[in-house]
Amino acid sequence: MPKDFDVIIIGGGATGAGTARDCALRGLKVLLLEREDLASGASGRNHGLLHSGARYAVRDSESAEECIKENKILRSIASNCVEDTGGLFITLPEDADTGYGLDYQKTFVEAPSVNPRLIGAVTVPDGSIDPFRLCSANITDAVLHGATVLTYTMVTEFILEGKTVTGVRTVNTRTGETAEYHAPVTVNAAGIWAHGIAELAGVVINMYPAKGALLVFGHRVNNVVINRCRKSADGDILVPGDSVTVIGTTSTRIPFSECDHMAVTREEVELLLREGCALCPSLANTRILRAYAGVRPLVASDDDPTGRSISRGIVVLDHKTRDGIDGFITITGGKLMTYRLMAELATDAVCRKLSVHAECKTAETPLPGSADGRISSIIKRFPGKPTAGQKGAAGRQGDLAGKIRFDNPADCALVCECENVTLAEIKYAVSELGVRTLSDLRRRTRIGMGTCQGTFCIRKAAKALAEALGDPSLADKLAADYLDERWKGLCPVGWGDTLREMEFMQRVYKFEKPYSYDEV
Amino acid sequence: MQERFISANNFEQCQKCSLCETVCPVMANNPAYAGPKRSGPDGERYRLKNGIFFEDSLKYCLNCKRCEVACPSGVRIADLIQQARIDFARKAPKLRDLMLASTDQVGPMASAFAPVANFALGLPPVKGILDFTLGIDRHRTLPKYSGETFVHWFRKNAASSQAAFKRQISYFHGCYANFNYPQLGRDFTAVMNAFGIGVNLIDERCCGVAKIANGMIPAATRDAKHNINVFRASVAAGRDVITVSTTCTMTLLEEYPELLKVDNADVKGHISLVEPFLYKAIASGELKPVWKEGWKARAAYHCPCHQERLGLGIFTTELLKMIPGLELTELPSNCCGIAGTYGFKKENYKVSQQIGKPLFDSIKAAAPDFVVCECETCKWQIEMSTGVTVKNPVSILAEALDLEKTLELNRS
Amino acid sequence: MMKFDVVVIGGGLAGMTAATALQQGGLKCAVVAEGLSLSGASREAYTAAGGTLLAGDRVTGGTIENGRLVSIRTEKLGDVTLEARAFILATGKFFSRGIVADMQKVYEPIFGLDVQYDADRSTWFSPSFAAPQRFLEFGVIAEDGCAVRNGVKIENLFPAGEVLAGLSSAASDATAEIKKSALAAAEAARRI
Repeated sequence: MPKDFDVIIIGGGATGAGTARDCALRGLKVLLLEREDLASGASGRNHGLLHSGARYAVRDSESAEECIKENKILRSIASNCVEDTGGLFITLPEDADTGYGLDYQKTFVEAPSVNPRLIGAVTVPDGSIDPFRLCSANITDAVLHGATVLTYTMVTEFILEGKTVTGVRTVNTRTGETAEYHAPVTVNAAGIWAHGIAELAGVVINMYPAKGALLVFGHRVNNVVINRCRKSADGDILVPGDSVTVIGTTSTRIPFSECDHMAVTREEVELLLREGCALCPSLANTRILRAYAGVRPLVASDDDPTGRSISRGIVVLDHKTRDGIDGFITITGGKLMTYRLMAELATDAVCRKLSVHAECKTAETPLPGSADGRISSIIKRFPGKPTAGQKGAAGRQGDLAGKIRFDNPADCALVCECENVTLAEIKYAVSELGVRTLSDLRRRTRIGMGTCQGTFCIRKAAKALAEALGDPSLADKLAADYLDERWKGLCPVGWGDTLREMEFMQRVYKFEKPYSYDEV
Repeated sequence: MQERFISANNFEQCQKCSLCETVCPVMANNPAYAGPKRSGPDGERYRLKNGIFFEDSLKYCLNCKRCEVACPSGVRIADLIQQARIDFARKAPKLRDLMLASTDQVGPMASAFAPVANFALGLPPVKGILDFTLGIDRHRTLPKYSGETFVHWFRKNAASSQAAFKRQISYFHGCYANFNYPQLGRDFTAVMNAFGIGVNLIDERCCGVAKIANGMIPAATRDAKHNINVFRASVAAGRDVITVSTTCTMTLLEEYPELLKVDNADVKGHISLVEPFLYKAIASGELKPVWKEGWKARAAYHCPCHQERLGLGIFTTELLKMIPGLELTELPSNCCGIAGTYGFKKENYKVSQQIGKPLFDSIKAAAPDFVVCECETCKWQIEMSTGVTVKNPVSILAEALDLEKTLELNRS
Repeated sequence: MMKFDVVVIGGGLAGMTAATALQQGGLKCAVVAEGLSLSGASREAYTAAGGTLLAGDRVTGGTIENGRLVSIRTEKLGDVTLEARAFILATGKFFSRGIVADMQKVYEPIFGLDVQYDADRSTWFSPSFAAPQRFLEFGVIAEDGCAVRNGVKIENLFPAGEVLAGLSSAASDATAEIKKSALAAAEAARRI
């Protein structure tokens, strides 16, 4: 049996990236395959909420315990990806007769935009978590420990020897190039797409794609997470994520065929806005940057063929015991913030198959960039007074910002003025963080994620990226693809100031002149 | 570092069109300044996230508010910048800034010793010392202090005769007319009296603009509250408050509620610059001017930045166009570069003069008898930099009106 | 109250083209420009000809009597209205807020003029950024060059430039068309 790797991991979301890191830290030779980019599926399409677990405390104590335990671990190992915002559970008069724990002074200092009609507010140790940074940091560490990571590489087929998976056949979605890779164990960590991956091996997993739509508001209206203290419903969590605020989510069962082409509907937007305004009335007048949706990979318990008892818990399937297919493991269910635990469980299963005895160290070992999570101390390492671009980079790249080459003054120019992204940081992302498209660059640097959604920077960014990729002729195509992606998120919220920006964006890109300088 | 969460400003209406950058006089002349868009709405998003993103370079903003005039989205860009400076610039003001800002405390001392003060302020060694020790640029001609303040003059010469007029107003003269140029206050009194209007002084304090610019917020807020209370009493007594300084007026009307959070809603409608006040009253026939026979002059109007922001320059030009002997041209809109105390600071002198150059050139090209301008600091800057006299519209009215005949006509 | 021959609302390409033509033709004009979207030179040509420019001011409403716009109010001038024989509306499209979209409708914010748009929002956008976008076609309706409110013509209010339905510089290079519509509005204003 040819063997290129110890383990092949399918999926570059948080679970796949975390599993790649865990396997690599335990000394395995790892290959990770992702059909698009890191965190381009559900991992990058959620609230970015670092749950306290309080939401599950009553009905699902196991999930609640998992949450609070992982919450503490992530704060210590992923300080650059986590922000300790704290959270509030607020009770509105329509939710209950009495609320608990209201300390007016504290509540309104921490959350000045919160609905003043509230009758109760309880503080919880919520936080926000940046899924893009989290996936990227896990991958960076995996690569540091010898892993091979291939993005834009789609698995088309399993290689089976008898009833054992021994490898995969792949196609590069950008070049069309095909390849074969071999390993004794393959981990299916493809989120909702795990269903389709399993089918390739002739295995059935009962999954239930649940679409969750979210809205992004232009700035932080509070610096704490706001939860609605009521039975879980749509649009009851408001998270301050980096420079924006995110409200979500809805929950709608959708067919598998829709998972790759999700569009946020007008009804979803109206619902989220209405519920958002119940949490914070000022959201009615806050600019909406865009709408997006992700798919939760919900799994039915194995002993329930009806699929009624859907769990949000972690599911590890060894397909040898379950389906008689050896060398194949599926890790699914769970949520973003339990990704590390999921990775640990999956890696344990891999090690059992390989008869490797190695301890999991991911709960204690800080991720790259997170050795020092405070921007204030990271920026002190730059010579001289830190610039806006350096401060921005420190916030995003953590202590790895020190690796960015700011020594050439031309590279210090800001490309994205909304999010303070310099040419130097773009060059760093391209050389160190596996960037192929402008959307990849956005996930690594927040470029184009600000108020103008790329209107002002994307031409410059496309030129810079094309040059860094070694082919300046790519620039127009990179920009066009990126604009289509941004446009998709703008259309559902196309009114008010957002529509003004959309008209402006059209003018800037079609005519390369932001406004008319024609002499009368 | 202080954390903030809410910005009352509508900064997300910003579309990033960058028009503000094309009109910013500082950005064109000082590469260290990030410009209004980045310092204002862009920076605000990040400052709301974490105060560490506050940029020192915001201090270069001279608060001319030209960005706000240019903004097609109505974003209060300069207010965002001033507010951020108030919230985050934590360093104590320098002695120099304290001296430049405390116009109503330094003023009385200097006026009392005006001949000595003016002589000394003009001497090269003294200017060198100011330059070296305080950071006030040695090239700068400092405003002269008058020996007799306007208030002193008014009490002695005019106060007793005011009650005879049937209509009464309160006059907010500002620090400049009081300490540096009492003639303006005298002209104001003469014009008002000619129209049959009695002038009353109120217990005013400095409007606070210099204190705001120099980070002395608690002191500015105290003064603002005091002034608003004084205005309330005046309005209650049936006397509207008339001002002559555009910058004072902008501060009283806009900066009090926006930056100092001092509510002025109840008196705002009763505070007016003198030019709109007179224009409206003359246009409606309420006041009737009689112009001097044969009075002639060629003047060029420079609209001060804060007047552009107030949007009231049209009243000045329309009022001046009523004077038969005045040939008035409007200078292209430019900033003179002084911006209150900004241009006095050594670190700003060069940029200040560069900013003003297009205006100075256009004045030299127009070669008027004098420049008309409502702003006192523009006057210092333009006179120092071009040698052309600058007159306040009120002083021009005092010259061009036949005061006695006007009084006769308006008395009946 | 201040009196002019023509008041132009909007200081962009259409507004300044119309105002400069009228002012140079000997009429007394005022331009109310919220935001300065043109270079200083075009404004200077207009003011040099004696035109009045209210920069950074915003028209808040007007008085319409018997199918004619009598006067307009602005934010800065307060109780002083601007009166004119004719008015030109050159406030542009969404970007400059000549027309405004909220979640329910598209409207003209100053006078409530009749606007042409699709009630069905799903037709507004093409999913491809580069494809033609329907929303750029929206704008106020003109009948014989006049603005229309509730189906009734306002005889002395002439829309010009991108505020008009079907005219957008974001959809095609419309500089020539914008100038043409501005000069047509100026001519109509001059005849009144």
